[in-house]
Amino acid sequence: MTVAVLDAHEVRIGRRQAVDQARALARRSVVGTLRQPQVWLPGLLFPMFIATVNTSTMGKAVHIPGFPPVDSLLDFLLPASITQSVLFGGLTAGSDTALDIQTGFFDRLLASPVSRTSILVGRLAGASVTGALQAVVFMVVYGIFGVRIAAGPAGAVLLIVFAMVLALVIGGFAAMLALRTGSAEAVQNVFPVTFIGLFISSAFFPTELMTGVYRSIARRNPITWMVDGMRHQVIVGLDWSEAATSLAVAAVLAVLAMFGANRALQSRLRRAT
Amino acid sequence: MTGVATQVRRARNTSWLPVSFALAQRSLIGVLRIPAAVIPLIAMPIFFVVAFSGSFSRLSSLPSFPTDNVLNWFVPFAILQGSAFAGFGTGFATVRDIETGFYDRLLLAPGSRVGLLVGPVLASLVRATFTVAVVLLFGAALGADLPGGVVGLIALWAAGLGIALISTGWALGLVFRVPNQRAGPILQIGIFFSTFLSTGNVPLADQTGWVQHVARVNPLTNILAMARQGFLGEVTWRGTWPGLVAIALSSVVLWLFAVTGIRKLTP
Repeated sequence: MTVAVLDAHEVRIGRRQAVDQARALARRSVVGTLRQPQVWLPGLLFPMFIATVNTSTMGKAVHIPGFPPVDSLLDFLLPASITQSVLFGGLTAGSDTALDIQTGFFDRLLASPVSRTSILVGRLAGASVTGALQAVVFMVVYGIFGVRIAAGPAGAVLLIVFAMVLALVIGGFAAMLALRTGSAEAVQNVFPVTFIGLFISSAFFPTELMTGVYRSIARRNPITWMVDGMRHQVIVGLDWSEAATSLAVAAVLAVLAMFGANRALQSRLRRAT
Repeated sequence: MTGVATQVRRARNTSWLPVSFALAQRSLIGVLRIPAAVIPLIAMPIFFVVAFSGSFSRLSSLPSFPTDNVLNWFVPFAILQGSAFAGFGTGFATVRDIETGFYDRLLLAPGSRVGLLVGPVLASLVRATFTVAVVLLFGAALGADLPGGVVGLIALWAAGLGIALISTGWALGLVFRVPNQRAGPILQIGIFFSTFLSTGNVPLADQTGWVQHVARVNPLTNILAMARQGFLGEVTWRGTWPGLVAIALSSVVLWLFAVTGIRKLTP
């Protein structure tokens, strides 16, 4: 027996059906991304290139007093690279939502008996799975170049979970923007903002070695809280308290992002009827 | 028929200067009319100054770092990046003209093709001068100083103009071959790679591995050294001529790229 769900668009869907639809849409999202290397490849190569260049140009910075104890700058940069990649990938998910609107696929979904919530959940679940894949790729590639996660397999799992939640954050905000504007270009314009947010954080350099106003802004940046917690697992060892802080910040932001995206969806549905 | 051809040839041979000025003026008015065009010229370099000097302030404690004031290292770097964006701006404007069909009308007109190349250069040089002035003032307000004085300022300005000249050649050569918005990412990747694989962040002596080897032969390393002289001490001929040579050689290569590109564009 299935329970009928009445959503905002008066579509009666069984709960199991809604889950199946969300799963199918998530699969479509992941497969759609994987089929377009021009979409996901820059998100992997760009952070790797930056990490490689920074390791070569600023590798000696790890000897500056106050720098966290690491064998190589690459150890320090692993969580930053994952964060950077997931942020870019999440924006792609938002752009895809906008493209669905621009190409009319979104309207076709609305015309079909698909749970409205599944449309959003499917897209975000797809972004989350893509985020997990990105984290695995970075851990494997950086592992080949000598990076070892001090927290062991548990630390690796924590990094994957972190990447999945972070993908919900950026994917949620990007989907909200896509649903509000219906423009892929508007979503892509967020890129500089994420770049600035990433730069004014501890992603590429420890806040302990920053000075003045910049340091105080970086210390208050949620990206710093998230990256530092995960970095602890990579360079120091397993610490549940640090991990919980990092994941809690990401989870709160994810809830806010999904709430915003859901409201944008409801608003678009109202306009569509 | 022969008379018309002669007239067209004569027009092409005589009128490139007014055409260049007119196109440069049009390009500069375009910047004023599209506020977003100012972002790469001013906002991006200013962000780079703030972000690099804020994030990497302690790099100045590296053994080979030539200054205690990290702003003296990063302000010229940001200015050269802004100057490169000045060149790209004219490239993007040319793409817009090609897509809207305006460029076809320019190609059909009996004016000199030289003007179609010189005009964007003049516009880029003015844009780059604007970037040099504004970002330098911003850097000075944050605490950058110029012990090299007026000569240091001239070296910086010359380096900025050189980068604008080179980047315009690269941008035009590319958009003549890829005459649509897809040229944008390729343009940016060019400057992205050349700036990261140079002495943008730290001196050569503090670099390691393959990046150090690439940075050593990257022309931008010499141009950066020329631009930074006045911020790090006195300007010398020894610190200037490699930058001038790098500008000259890069300009020749990339302007050949542009000239052969416009020939491909015209039947």
